Amino acid sequence: MNIIIVEDNQELATEIRDFLSKNRYRCTIANNGAAALEEVAAMDYDVMLLDLGLPDGDGFEILKAIRKSKSRMAVIVITARGELDDKVNGLQLGADDYMTKPFSLTELNARLFAVVRRLHGFVLNELEIHGIVLQLQDYKVSYQGNTISLTKKEFDIFQYLVLNKDRVITRLQLTEHIWGDVLELNSDSNFIDVHVRNLRKKLDKFVAIDWFETVRNVGYRINS
Amino acid sequence: MKIKSKLIIFNLITRLLVILVFWLVLPVLVQKVIYRDINKSLVEKKQKFLEHLDKEEINDFMLRNDTTETYASFSTLHSEFLQLSRLPVPFQDKKTVFVDEPRIIEGEQDDYRILKYQFLYEKMTYELEIGSNLAEIKELTFIIRIFVFIVLFFASAVVFALDAFFIEYLFKPFYKIIDTKIRRVHEPETFDHTSINSTTTDFRELDTVLNQMMNRISELFKKEKQFIANVSHELLTPIALMKNKFENLLQNQSLDDDAMDKIVSSLRNLDMLKKIINNLLLISKIDNNQYASNETIDLYPLLYDLVDDLSDRMDDKNIHIDLALQHHYECDGNKTLLHILLYNLMVNAIKYNKSEGSIICKDGYVDEVYFLSIADTGIGMNEAQIGQIFDRFTRINTTEEGHGLGLAIVGSVAAFHQIKIEVTSKINEGTTFVLYFPIKST
Repeated sequence: MNIIIVEDNQELATEIRDFLSKNRYRCTIANNGAAALEEVAAMDYDVMLLDLGLPDGDGFEILKAIRKSKSRMAVIVITARGELDDKVNGLQLGADDYMTKPFSLTELNARLFAVVRRLHGFVLNELEIHGIVLQLQDYKVSYQGNTISLTKKEFDIFQYLVLNKDRVITRLQLTEHIWGDVLELNSDSNFIDVHVRNLRKKLDKFVAIDWFETVRNVGYRINS
Repeated sequence: MKIKSKLIIFNLITRLLVILVFWLVLPVLVQKVIYRDINKSLVEKKQKFLEHLDKEEINDFMLRNDTTETYASFSTLHSEFLQLSRLPVPFQDKKTVFVDEPRIIEGEQDDYRILKYQFLYEKMTYELEIGSNLAEIKELTFIIRIFVFIVLFFASAVVFALDAFFIEYLFKPFYKIIDTKIRRVHEPETFDHTSINSTTTDFRELDTVLNQMMNRISELFKKEKQFIANVSHELLTPIALMKNKFENLLQNQSLDDDAMDKIVSSLRNLDMLKKIINNLLLISKIDNNQYASNETIDLYPLLYDLVDDLSDRMDDKNIHIDLALQHHYECDGNKTLLHILLYNLMVNAIKYNKSEGSIICKDGYVDEVYFLSIADTGIGMNEAQIGQIFDRFTRINTTEEGHGLGLAIVGSVAAFHQIKIEVTSKINEGTTFVLYFPIKST
């Protein structure tokens, strides 16, 4: 999977690349719009992470140019502006998703998974971990044909942890994923813990392993 | 009342006054003019009569009136009469006098204007009376009065219509300025800078001044917008960088517990910083009018979804919610902002509630104004605290975490949508927020 990261802040681009590289993605960095267009013309990319605030002009122009070229490449727009009309504009112009700076790398990973899945025409419909199958289309979880009934939030948490398996996921990251970018301050911990506890109980009935390794007071991790 | 209505009413009143004054004054004036004329003609007749007067004639007069010492003659239609009588009294030098008196001539009583004149002729005193019938004059006065009244009435009506038309025409640019310019002061981007077409210099000046003012305002708005965009970019990019660095660092297997704690704590602080910046930017953007407000939002599903979303947080505190909306009120505005407003109020109602407490949401109409109230059974506030809650960085309860921007945002969003907020609270009993939505202009 080839990804091009169009971001003028080199350090930030490097952090994103370092993270994604560990996840079977091959990443290339372009620091400005012109370099990005050159790169896209020269090589086939599956996904572009496009920062809107580029030194040589508006990121929307690049998005337009790409969509004109009939490229099938998926585009995830990244912006620090956080403007809602950007969101509308971006999605109208053919961005596949939209993220606001600062975002979690694990969240980016989850979004990438969704975008890539869509890009490939939803061929991949299942995730499997320790014999438990997540059916992504209808939010169902089953073990050897037995349905495990999960709430929507439990499913989301489970899927998020599976997509970011072998990684420590902080409560904050989980909270942000489940409730979105809520504006109040202390929106973490308790509620997530309740959901994780319930989820663990449900999964334990079928596969009794230490599902979610609790990493001190940091968060959770699913080990493969 | 509009200026043009006032002007039109004023015009109407002055016209009516003029007509009324004419109606009252006209008879007096006409009478004066006509009486002067009659007097003059009576004097002329007297002169003529006296000029031709001689012994014979007097005798002639007197002869016809055998019994009395009076001679009278009148025109066939009784419009005039002349009467000469011999007075037994000695002559006193009297001036010519005019009187209005009724006289009976041939059995018909009429009012006459009469000239009385005494003179001495061959040592005899005579009194000459020449009368002119007033009936016709009165009739004439009445006709003139009616005629003038009708003429005045129609003239006034025509002038009034012309006035009204002209005033309407004159004030057209003024109302255009109000409708297309002043009313849109809140949306400097959509302001119409084309100058108003008017020959009235006052309006042109008003228009120019308004345009200049709006240019300054939109310049400021633009600058602030630019500033907000810059601040977002310049502050949020380094935060994003740090956040991602820490996240990558966290995956490092060789980290000891202490290092991990420090990273997570840093991440939490970064998150706090991000939220404060985002909240401040949100308030600035609302106050800077950067949000569209062209959506129609049904508050009913918005609130029910919100409560559903917050159910686990209410369960956590065993808070019971009593949510029974009666109406599907549709609010014009921005859905995202309204969601934030209701979210912040609901979160506060949970956060500052007691465990096992309750939240009551109600709606309804007061004098056609739709209201939505959110009441909690929480810790409550005193009067002084209520006065400050919408200020930025005010924290009422220091034991609860928060940055004191939640209600500032509520205040800004409410102002943006012209929603009036009423807060009542009692210490240890709870707080009620009532939102009064604006009446929609149809």
